[in-house]
Amino acid sequence: MMRPYQNARRTLGAWLVLAASLQLYGCAPEPSQDLFAPTEAQMKLRSFQTRTFDVSDRQVALRAVIAVLQDLGFIIERANEPLGLVTAARFSEPNYLEIVGVTVTVRPQGEGRMMIRANAIHNNKPIEDPKVYQNFFASLERSLFITKE
Amino acid sequence: MMSRWLIAAICLLFSSQLAGCVTQSQPEELFQLSPESPKHRAMQTRMFETSDEKELLSASAATLQDLGFEIEESVSDVGFLRAAKERSAREWGQHINRFMMAIVTTPLAIMEAGPVILPIDLHQRIAASLITRPLNPERSRYEVRIMFYRVVWKGEGAAGRSSFPPGEQRSEMIRDPVLYQQFFARLSKAVFLEAHKI
Repeated sequence: MMRPYQNARRTLGAWLVLAASLQLYGCAPEPSQDLFAPTEAQMKLRSFQTRTFDVSDRQVALRAVIAVLQDLGFIIERANEPLGLVTAARFSEPNYLEIVGVTVTVRPQGEGRMMIRANAIHNNKPIEDPKVYQNFFASLERSLFITKE
Repeated sequence: MMSRWLIAAICLLFSSQLAGCVTQSQPEELFQLSPESPKHRAMQTRMFETSDEKELLSASAATLQDLGFEIEESVSDVGFLRAAKERSAREWGQHINRFMMAIVTTPLAIMEAGPVILPIDLHQRIAASLITRPLNPERSRYEVRIMFYRVVWKGEGAAGRSSFPPGEQRSEMIRDPVLYQQFFARLSKAVFLEAHKI
């Protein structure tokens, strides 16, 4: 047999828990400002990710980028010619558990030169190994050379 | 008591063997040409003697539509199309396997380890990414390269008391050369041009 005040105490307890959880919700951490500030590591990464090529036509450069990505087994997901933007992805085979995404931008840099920048992401983490970008640019250089002929 | 330890040991052995099969590839390898790259390229690419890229691209879109795909993205300036279709992924073989496995493992129910219900493929999304590209500066020859891939969703499975929820998904490239041949055969009919192998 339950007494009335015991019931009231239980209700009070429930209210306290609810209030505490609401307060916790209010205190949810916000993303730190460091996530948006350029760090030294990021500046270094940018230098790996960027290379300038002697190409005057942006469309030629963009099409070469697309062809290289396809040769490397990437699926082209999005392209924007006016902005010189390509987004592609591939998954590892035969286990499909790893996904590599890449965004490449092609921007004119005056007097027949194009600046090409690649950002690669492996399973939601940015790839910081310079070797990866060297491989990509080496393939791109080959492709641009063949296209020129 | 003894038998329970034995089962645990066997399970451990099997799971360790499975772990040994999964090799983590290095991301740098993912940006390198593999020995199969030229083979895949040859299968996915055909050359057309035409100077009309827009016509080639629009015929490609029409061919994909004929095959039941919906065009999701198109950028004519770089000759790009992306299309997809959703279909059932059920296959008889998997149903038969599931049935046989359930029958064979039913005695394990005594130890609450059976029957084992294998998850089967339920649904799939087949997608295609297509690029046209000029092969010479005069732009009198174009290549078309298409890549097919798919995402498959699995149904639920169970082993004794533990169960796996449905919805697990897996992605794979489609490497069946016949599918590519069929696509290019249709495309060459649509543009009234011969599709040359590279």
